[in-house]
Order: sequence, then structure tokens, then C-alpha cells
Amino acid sequence: MITLPETRASMGMGKVAAGPPRGELRPGRLAFLLCLPALVFLLAIIAYPILHALYLSFHAVDLSALNTGEMPFVGLANFQALLRDGVFWAALRNTVVFTAVSVAGEVLFGLAIALVINEKGIALGVLSRALILLPWAVPPVVNGLMWGFIYSPSYGYLNVILYRLGIIKEFMQFLGNADIALYMVSIPYIWRTTPFAALLFHAALQGIPEELYEAAKVDGANAWGRLWGITLPLLKPTFTVLLVLRTGFAFMVFDEIFAMTQGGPGNATWVAAWYTYSQSFRYVEIGMGAASAYALALMIAAIAFVYIRLLYARVEYA
Amino acid sequence: MKRLPKILLNLANVLVILFLTVPLLALVFASVQTERTLVGHYMDIIPRELTSVNFAVILGRPAPAMWSLPKAINAFPQAFGNSLSVATSVTLLTLVFASLMAYAVARLRVRWTQTMMYVNLATRLVPIIILMVPLFVTLRRLQLLNTLSGIIVTEVGFLLPYAVWILVAYFLSLPGELEDAARIDGCTRMGCFLRIILPLSAPGLAATAVIVFLISWNELLIPLIVTSKQEVMTVPVLLSTLVSDFHVYYTLMAAISLVGLLPSAALALLLQRYVVRGLTAGALKG
Repeated sequence: MITLPETRASMGMGKVAAGPPRGELRPGRLAFLLCLPALVFLLAIIAYPILHALYLSFHAVDLSALNTGEMPFVGLANFQALLRDGVFWAALRNTVVFTAVSVAGEVLFGLAIALVINEKGIALGVLSRALILLPWAVPPVVNGLMWGFIYSPSYGYLNVILYRLGIIKEFMQFLGNADIALYMVSIPYIWRTTPFAALLFHAALQGIPEELYEAAKVDGANAWGRLWGITLPLLKPTFTVLLVLRTGFAFMVFDEIFAMTQGGPGNATWVAAWYTYSQSFRYVEIGMGAASAYALALMIAAIAFVYIRLLYARVEYA
Repeated sequence: MKRLPKILLNLANVLVILFLTVPLLALVFASVQTERTLVGHYMDIIPRELTSVNFAVILGRPAPAMWSLPKAINAFPQAFGNSLSVATSVTLLTLVFASLMAYAVARLRVRWTQTMMYVNLATRLVPIIILMVPLFVTLRRLQLLNTLSGIIVTEVGFLLPYAVWILVAYFLSLPGELEDAARIDGCTRMGCFLRIILPLSAPGLAATAVIVFLISWNELLIPLIVTSKQEVMTVPVLLSTLVSDFHVYYTLMAAISLVGLLPSAALALLLQRYVVRGLTAGALKG
């Protein structure tokens, strides 16, 4: 601190164009000041809670502990309880299934939509492109309620339509049937998140030079061959980004589950985030909640790490 | 190149448009009829009698006799106001702090700020729920539970890394010569930032603003955990209180849902150009 005026003076004298003008901060110092407000938020809202969650996960924290502030250290007891809890394992299994189904759905639908809207000179393409963001903008909780209504066993539109088409003989349970509930809740999630995948694919498709297709055509490749030979290989970086991001987000799914099934029927749609939420805020077993939140975060980190090691052939501006 | 026949591609577009819009029709149809009509004529998809009574009720008009109303319904106008102030404050604060940091990262070329970008990227995959457990404890101690400030502070912290990420991409795309020229003419760093970088990045700032506003408007988990009182609920939280209430009319819930998704849908459709650029910049750089 004491040497600062000297440093500043010498820099001002030495160089004219490259150094900062007289009275201006060094880049490092200026960068620190500019980042300071954001850093304070990042430390308070992200870094500190992550560490605090680790602390909480090693302590017994219930409602009375919150009031008194006395949280006895229990070592690994929360994690042991977690591993002994059958519901936790069910939630884990459901999360993996939900994620696999959802990410596959998003990527496939997203790719199909991107290929369709990428064709130029199609009258209806203008409308498709104008509406593409609509599902993405729907608040997830509204999405859950909306599909809860569509699925309703007493007057939901899905039942009405299937019945009128003669596909079902009587109204059926979609969310109330433990065998299919998990798949039924993944459909709304896929619907809401497909536009994001479509957008990324569309952006990448626009970057593929037309000449490549022309050349392939000269060589006699048909549309199918061009898709597999040119389009899909060039979309590989986009697949990577989407898989990393969307797997991570699907692993954290909460809103749709909350709005549609709250984990039911039975354990059929308990997912990891719902488990953490329930432990922490419904049963007020904050220590357990923190432990399961940590388990969730570590799994997401592991998945991201594996994906990046396996797939990142260094993504440049895709 | 030989295209598929146009008729087939138009048909494919019809499928895309149906995919994007049909589920939303369920909300529209449900919200313009009474619960009586819905239950009485449940085999009709297009409602038999149209009415605006659901919208009138959620906007504060007294409900017809015999209607059973959850208390939360009356709180809808206030929740809408809360959502607006939260999303607006979060957007403004995030934009100011994020653009300052993004400028430092993109233009000052200081080593540690580059490292911060990896931190920013990593935070995107941190589950909100892991933050909410300790934040609940902390906000409780700071007496920020059940305040809009508690929601705003938390959302700003959560959205900053994403906003920085999008803005850095924009700032880097501007030609550096403009700033160099201004520097030689004696412009200070901050002068360059305010007079050159910010005006030129208006599309980037708009993109970031819309995306941040939308995420904040749609956010459930953060306000759900921070609030338990009706006066400070946002629209998603209010909707979540109706979930386990079996007496709620679907038609009313549909009306609330529709009004609740109106701002985000309108923003996304009207400012689509910016949203798309922001989303792709936020995802693909790296």
C-alpha cells in the first residue's frame, strides 16, 4: 500500500501509450475493484453456502438446533443414514432414469426441430422459428400444473382425446400409476427444455458451409448420407455441450416433480432434489438434507467430469 | 442442392408448431370456462360456454357465491407485483455487477480473472438446492426470511456467473481498436467502459437482461424456501401452494398460470432475437 504512489509515478513516466495515464489504477487493481461487487455475491451466495453445507452435513441439525444454534457434531452419521435409507436409493435410481429419458428426448426432439426449421424458404418455417422459445419461457411450476391438468384422470384432455380416438376404453391414471408416473413426468420436462437444444443445434447448423453439402451431392450422397456424413459429425461439439449442461440440469429437476406428483405415488417419482428438499424443509432434518445435497452435487460433478474427459475434443466457437 | 419437397417440409413445420403450442391450449381452454362447465361437460375439449369470470376473480373481483376459494387466490395481484419487483431488481443488479466483472475479464487481461471464468462455468452446474439449505439457515439468522430482499440477494448471486459468462462473450466480440484509439486520446478505462463498450454492447446487455428476468420470473425453489408468508410470495410460489390443495378449481388455477406465464412468454417472443443470441453465447463459448 505504501509503495503504491511510487509505482504509479514511475509507470506514468516510463511509457506513454502502454501504461495507464497518470492517476489511473494498475489493471490488476482496477480488475479487482470491478470484480469486487460480483465477488462478494459469489462468496456469500455460492462459495460460503457450499462450505457451510459441508459443515451442516457433519452435524445433527433439527428445528430446535436452528433455534438454539447448538448443533452437535455427528461425524459421518448423516451420510450413513443416507446410505441406509431405501427412499434415497429409490430417489437416486429415479433420477438416473429421469435424466436418461429426458436428455435423450430433448436432444432427439431438439435435433429434429432444428433440422426442420433450418430449411430456408418454407412458408411455415417463419412461424415455427417465431414460436420456438415458447415452451422454454413457461415457468416450470406452471408447466407442471398444466400437464397435471392434461393428465387428470377425471377430465384431463389426454384421457378425453385417447378415449375419443378409441385407444382407451376408460379414463386411466397417468400420474397415479407407479409403473409409468416417472415417464409421464419426464414428458413435460422434455417439452419445456427441447427449445434450448433446438436453438443450439440450429445455431450450429447455420455455421455449416453450404459448399460441404454441394460437394457431397456431386459425390452422389443422398440426404440421409449427408446427414450422417456431414451434419452429425459437425454437430459433435454441440452434442457435448448439450449433454453436459442438460444432464446436470435434469439431475437437479425439482419444479415439475413438485407441481405434479410430489414424489408419489409411493416412491415412484422421488428424485434427488426432491429428497434433499423434503429432508431439509419438510422433515427439517437439515443435516441429512445437506448430506444428500452434497451427494447430488458430487454426482453432477462426476458426470460433468466424465463427459468432458470422454467427449471434449476441445470445443471452439461451435 | 436438391431439397425435400416443400409440401413435406411444411408438414414437418406443422408438427413443430403443434409440438410448441398444443399443451398450452389446455391452459387456455381451461381458463375460459367455469369449473361447472369443465366438470359437467368433461368430454368437450373446446369449452361449451366461454367466460372471463376466472380472470376477474384472480384480479380481485368478488367470486360468485358457492365458489370455494383458497385464500391464496386473493393474494394473486400482490404476488404478481412481488414477482415484478423481484425480477426487475434482480435484472438491474445482476446487469450492473456482471458487466463490471465481464469488462475486467474481457479487457483488462489479468490472469486471475481468466481463472474466475472457469469458476463461473462450474457454478452453473451447482444445484440450487445445495445452496438453499445453508442459505435458509443464514437468511434466517439475518432475519431476511420472508423478505423480498432475501429473494433478490439470493437470485442475484445465483445468476451472476451466467450473466458474466454471456457478457464476456459479447465484450470479446467488439473490436479492440476502438478502445485503443480512445485510450490514446486520453480516455480513462472507466470512460472507455461507459462510453464505448456499454453502448456498443446494447444487444448483449438486452440479451442478458431478458434471460435474467425470465429465469428470475420463473424461479420457484429460491422464493419457495425464502418465503412462507403470503405478502411476500411470488407467482410461482403462490401457484405451488395450490398444488396440494384438492379443492382448488382447475379453471382458476389455469387462469393464474396463464397470467403468470404471460410476461415471460411475451418477453421471449418479442425479444426472441436477443434471447437466442444470449443463450447460444452463454452455452457455446468455452
